[in-house]
Amino acid sequence: MSEITYEPDADAEDVGVTEHVPATVTQKSLNADILRMLEPPGKIWWGVFLLDLCILAAGGLALRNQIVLGLGVAGYTRPVMWAAYITNFVFWVGIAHCGTLVSAILFLFRSHFRRAVYRVAEAMTVFGVLTAGLFPLLHTGRPWFGYWLIPYPTQRGLWPNFRSPLEWDVFAVTTYLTVSSIFFIVGIIPDAAAQRDRAKTRLHRLLGFLFSFGWRGANYQWKHFYGAYLYFAALATPLVLSVHSVVSWDFAMAQLPGWHSTIFAPYFVAGAIFSGVALVINLLIGIRKAYRLEHIVTIDHIEKLSKLVLLTSTIVGYSYLVEFFCAWYGPSKFERDLFAFRFFGHYWWASWTMFTCNVIIPLLLWSKKVRRNMPVLFVIMLFVNVGMWFERFVIIVTSLARSFDPAVWVFYKMSWTEGAITAGAFAWFFMYFLLFIRLLPAFSIAEIKETLPPPMRRKPS
Amino acid sequence: MSLLKPAFALIDAVIAGPPATFRGVMGVFAYVDDVAGAVRALRQLGHKDLRVYSPVPYHDIERALEQGPSIVRWVTLVGGVCGITGGFALCIYSVTSWPMVTGGKELVSLPPFMTIGYESMILLGGISNLLGMLALARLPELKPSAPYDPRFTEDKIGVWVPCVGEAAQKVQEMLRGHGAEEVALHA
Repeated sequence: MSEITYEPDADAEDVGVTEHVPATVTQKSLNADILRMLEPPGKIWWGVFLLDLCILAAGGLALRNQIVLGLGVAGYTRPVMWAAYITNFVFWVGIAHCGTLVSAILFLFRSHFRRAVYRVAEAMTVFGVLTAGLFPLLHTGRPWFGYWLIPYPTQRGLWPNFRSPLEWDVFAVTTYLTVSSIFFIVGIIPDAAAQRDRAKTRLHRLLGFLFSFGWRGANYQWKHFYGAYLYFAALATPLVLSVHSVVSWDFAMAQLPGWHSTIFAPYFVAGAIFSGVALVINLLIGIRKAYRLEHIVTIDHIEKLSKLVLLTSTIVGYSYLVEFFCAWYGPSKFERDLFAFRFFGHYWWASWTMFTCNVIIPLLLWSKKVRRNMPVLFVIMLFVNVGMWFERFVIIVTSLARSFDPAVWVFYKMSWTEGAITAGAFAWFFMYFLLFIRLLPAFSIAEIKETLPPPMRRKPS
Repeated sequence: MSLLKPAFALIDAVIAGPPATFRGVMGVFAYVDDVAGAVRALRQLGHKDLRVYSPVPYHDIERALEQGPSIVRWVTLVGGVCGITGGFALCIYSVTSWPMVTGGKELVSLPPFMTIGYESMILLGGISNLLGMLALARLPELKPSAPYDPRFTEDKIGVWVPCVGEAAQKVQEMLRGHGAEEVALHA
């Protein structure tokens, strides 16, 4: 019986993975470099964190306002009853897709460059789903009844409608949050043990103790760890593809022009990976600069991620054009009118922002010079995320504002409450992220060590 | 801060764990091929219950230990099968317990239930995979089952051989002969 290990066919000499980490990095220096991030933070970290908390407080006040006064303070204008909040929900679920792509799909494809970047991406996934999950609850107006979405036996025998895409969403998003959190926490186990063994403060030692589950790196622990990791990856890969497909069916199952399209599932999945990888590049560029980790997260790693952005940008661009073509070529005059409205009507500025940021600006990534220029790349990735937020806004708002009957055509305008809650959601996400990089190893010490040549007394034959 | 001192002391005591007594020999190595050689020799001598502690898994050592595949996959399979069955069962039970025909559609309409079954399969498969891994890897391990050195999460490899008396002397010599940097007897 063949042995299942982390790399069933990988011998030390054919792994070919040291290309991404300089030869000066050793197992010992790697521990020191990554655990150095846990040392007391400087003024910049505190400044950013306090700013983040202020924005979060503004979002919290806006939320309080909405709960006290009701959903009327949101800019909802019948029939545009899905607006900024559902835009944010889809945006954050999309952001959450990068982590599982990097940890699961690239793991199964044996893409070794993932090792240096996957922890940041996974953390982003978990915090992204935590942020996304807020919005359907806020959108209900009475978030304390959120548990009604979950099937449970009641004395009245009522069950949710399992034929509804909204109920599918509940299952998809909760499964995604659970599985991606498990994946994230399991991956941390060996690194938390390294943190526990070298922690300089009691808090870090305690966190290392809790997250390591008493890990000691015994042979039987590694065997079952990677046995399980392989199956986590195998389960998470179809999950990541299904979650955004299910999110897209919230729209595609409806009859509305601009929504009722079979292209939605692959189009949404590509868009999710596109925005998620863009944000992870932004975060990595910041972290490697701030903590002087350029030798661990190298330009090669960032370049490979930016190629993923380029690939998904072309898929997203193709989807935009196919949607247009189908509307023009197809028999539905409502669909044709809607697409003309999207790009030349009231919301033309949103549509052109989307197209420019998601299709035109990423064309710069065809240039190797651009892909290896960190400041330029950082700006491009910011544009991508602006574009992807507007993509969801355009899909949701324009279709609702311009449905079949001209009598119900309206113009939706985002309210200050929605704007503050949107900003607060970004602060909510970054609060988790800023705390994470201060409290647990933000890079996988064990997996990056595997990219180093194994210490051998004799040369391998 | 003085109020927190007892709490910190308690945390430290929990992390340190209860004092344990071990009987055996621990060898600390720097090189993977040395460990692989030592493991092969020890296993030939009949020490099948030895343990290797390392910062990363090394294939040479895995081969020397002749480890079979992890059985965690069967636990995952059982969880996945329970998940898909449970997902479909929940949907079918809910529509038959309160029958309400909408749009002239079948009550038990399998295509929309597929999503629930599929997501439930992944959810329970993932949870059972985690529980299986923790159980098989004996985690959480609050009480160490062998002497532990923090260098095992850095760059050193430890080989623990449970043995006593004359056998322990022989094991010590064997570990030194295979390149162990440090050998400690725990009796």
